[in-house]
Amino acid sequence: MLRAGALVVVGGAAVPLTGCDLFDRNDNKPPPPDPLEPLAAESAALAARHRAAIAADPGLADRLTPIADAHQAHADELRRVIGRPAPTGAPAGTPGPSGAADPADPLNGLREAERAGRDNAAKACAAAPAERAAPLGSIAAARATHVEALK
Amino acid sequence: MIPRTAPTGPGEALAAALTAEYAAIWAYGVIGVRLADAARAAARTAEAAHRARRDALILQLSSGGGQVPADRAGYALPYPVTDRVSALKLAVEVEERTAGFWRAALPHTTGADRNRALAALTDCALRATRWRRTAGVTPLTVPFPGRPV
Repeated sequence: MLRAGALVVVGGAAVPLTGCDLFDRNDNKPPPPDPLEPLAAESAALAARHRAAIAADPGLADRLTPIADAHQAHADELRRVIGRPAPTGAPAGTPGPSGAADPADPLNGLREAERAGRDNAAKACAAAPAERAAPLGSIAAARATHVEALK
Repeated sequence: MIPRTAPTGPGEALAAALTAEYAAIWAYGVIGVRLADAARAAARTAEAAHRARRDALILQLSSGGGQVPADRAGYALPYPVTDRVSALKLAVEVEERTAGFWRAALPHTTGADRNRALAALTDCALRATRWRRTAGVTPLTVPFPGRPV
């Protein structure tokens, strides 16, 4: 019984290896997404989020515009580091920055989003190859200063 | 302001960061006497943080068998520090400058060493932001802390 069961499992696992994948390389397949794509999407989303907060309360413009601009600069820099255009189609993998909008204290949600973003950038910096470490370090540090500037 | 020649290895990068920490500690001695109350206390806290980084670097470099650069008796100031305004300006510049050396260490480090360098870069950037707030300078932040301009 055990043997038979094991054979069934092995057979099942072997199925994906048998089709045309093994020998017929499909060169039209797009390359896998760059590991920095989520971070680039997060920078764009953070920029949009600060601009939305400014639109809702123009009194915040002086404070939030430099931060929104920094996130846009980060998105541009990450695009340059990735070295190819943003993936076409819907940005399905775009992580919405966490931190719910709080109408009573709009800065609170932004602070939470910056904190989460800082941690994501720090993780990306730790995992990055040497040539990407410095720009990612600056982005992590910038997001940390945004938390401070929103206090 | 920011290191002009890129370090070529981890030892050189961390030795350069150590020289930046020496200079920062020295500068806070000049800065602190021009400040009062909360700002003076903040200068003392900042100086203590730079001393802790210095001590950790000396330990790390000497236990790794690398060159440990020596501190100097004094450092050239970019301008005379004569009052609160010039002291706060120098404090911002010292933190941005030191951030640049830690940023330059990132490509030459991995694992725990890189995390330490990132923590140091982030702490410098945070102190620069707080000093700008104390000085009433806006914006409080720069887009790429430590990046050569």
